[in-house]
Amino acid sequence: MLDTLRQIETPEGVFLRLRAAGALPRAQAWTIDFVLRMVVLSAAMIPLSLLGSAGMGVGALLMFVLMWAYAVVCEVWFGGQTLGKRAMGLRVVSADGAPVTLVPSVLRNLLRVVDILPGVYAVGLASTLIDPYGRRLGDVIAGTLVIHGGELPAGSQVPTAAPVAPPPGLAADEHAVIVEFAERCAQLTPQRQQELADLLQPLTGCTGEAGVQRLLGYANWLLGRA
Amino acid sequence: MKQERFVALHREEWSELQRWLDLVDTKQRQALRDPRANNFPVEYRRLCHHLALARARGYSREVTDRLQRMVQQGHRLLYRPPAPRWHRALVFLIAGFPRLVRSEWRCMAAAAVLFFAPALFCLIALQFHPEWAHSIFGSAQLAEFEKMYDPARDRIGRSSGTDMAMFGTYVMNNVSIAFRTFASGLVLGVGAVYVLAANGVIIGGVAGHLTQMGYGGPFWRFVAAHAAFELTALVIAGGAGLRLGLTLLAPGRQRRGPAMVAAGWIGAQLALGAFAMLLIAAAIEAFWSSIAWFPDVLKFGSAALLWLLVLGWLWRGGAQAQAEGGDGA
Repeated sequence: MLDTLRQIETPEGVFLRLRAAGALPRAQAWTIDFVLRMVVLSAAMIPLSLLGSAGMGVGALLMFVLMWAYAVVCEVWFGGQTLGKRAMGLRVVSADGAPVTLVPSVLRNLLRVVDILPGVYAVGLASTLIDPYGRRLGDVIAGTLVIHGGELPAGSQVPTAAPVAPPPGLAADEHAVIVEFAERCAQLTPQRQQELADLLQPLTGCTGEAGVQRLLGYANWLLGRA
Repeated sequence: MKQERFVALHREEWSELQRWLDLVDTKQRQALRDPRANNFPVEYRRLCHHLALARARGYSREVTDRLQRMVQQGHRLLYRPPAPRWHRALVFLIAGFPRLVRSEWRCMAAAAVLFFAPALFCLIALQFHPEWAHSIFGSAQLAEFEKMYDPARDRIGRSSGTDMAMFGTYVMNNVSIAFRTFASGLVLGVGAVYVLAANGVIIGGVAGHLTQMGYGGPFWRFVAAHAAFELTALVIAGGAGLRLGLTLLAPGRQRRGPAMVAAGWIGAQLALGAFAMLLIAAAIEAFWSSIAWFPDVLKFGSAALLWLLVLGWLWRGGAQAQAEGGDGA
């Protein structure tokens, strides 16, 4: 399976489909976080350095907080998102899709020490490539998952056409495919529309523009337009 | 029912719920005080019902994806864990943590041996072969140690810096070392073994070298008190790392995945406890250990008290609740 969907059955009996995030957006989020932390640290060090030796102590504490506590605090108290993850639309959740709690968050961030080996996240990268849900070692052991936050569908409308009843015997997901084709039509060039519609020639019985129109007709019928 | 009719029937309801869910994300307090909050579980379950219907009837992604996104948002809200409470943290530190340490006593004992055996060996060996110190440390390092523990100084254990500066440095360095010791245990335990043994050699080496050259007084006066927390915390972090590595090697009568998750859960709690211990150690080290003029009785008396406190806490802490079949958390 190339699909990184993780299905979770909720207590209500519906399936949540979480889209696991791969290495690239996560690396981008990490980079944003890294830059932010560096900026905060340097900005704080300027006034602190004027305080002399005690300021250095506070600086060391700040560095500690940024290095070890920042991610945990963000994940546990701010909805599983560090600022970088927020910018990339990522979110840390526990394996059952619920918000991540303190102990798993601590664990996944401590085990970053191993994932970062040998300095360039090679272990973590290998792990995200092997794991079906793109988890690094820390995520696997902490039982957490980084997912893409749900983005809204485009809100595209099916173009109006004279409704035509599709041949009987189609399954529910096949109905959905026809409607989705119609919804996406506006984003496709006519050539691509026809190319896709030709694949359904055995169903529609016609090719080219007529095939597209036939599918739009089916979609309008399926949507319940009179 | 056809898709468009279904959407037309429920659109109003969905967008109201969506508005409230978005409000939760931005202004949680205000949203949860809203009277709508009481209806949320009912509305959420209705939404789940709609999603199930939409999927079963083969509605398009425009509908199912939108509903799924709302369900995901609602799921996050309804099943969010309770906020961490200070009281539970306190109970964990006083009772849960020592209980956890005791339950992992084999790994803890192994870690203690890995750390104290090389330390004691270096300490004793350097009394008879002082020149070995040069094989452990460079000359510059030795000079630095000698300067830090020079009996003539009014501050011991540091070459420069105020209490606050040293507190920050100790927190940063010691906690980072403990965390790395724990995490590197994942590499089949090799990391934890290495860090424990290496720290044993270094600490034993410094102690042996300074004792042998007659600077033992200031050195032991400096380290005795905070060592109670610091060395124990390091051993505990190392033990937790060993546990992680051993579980990876020999998960026992479980599959490796779940066994690692269980070991990780225990290890993270131990690391949190070690973190608290190291904060205390850093405070003692920065604000108490460094004062040179306290008489020996006070210095070593307080150190003995702290060692008793730490060992007693680890030995008996939470034993009462356990015997009574208490909360077991």
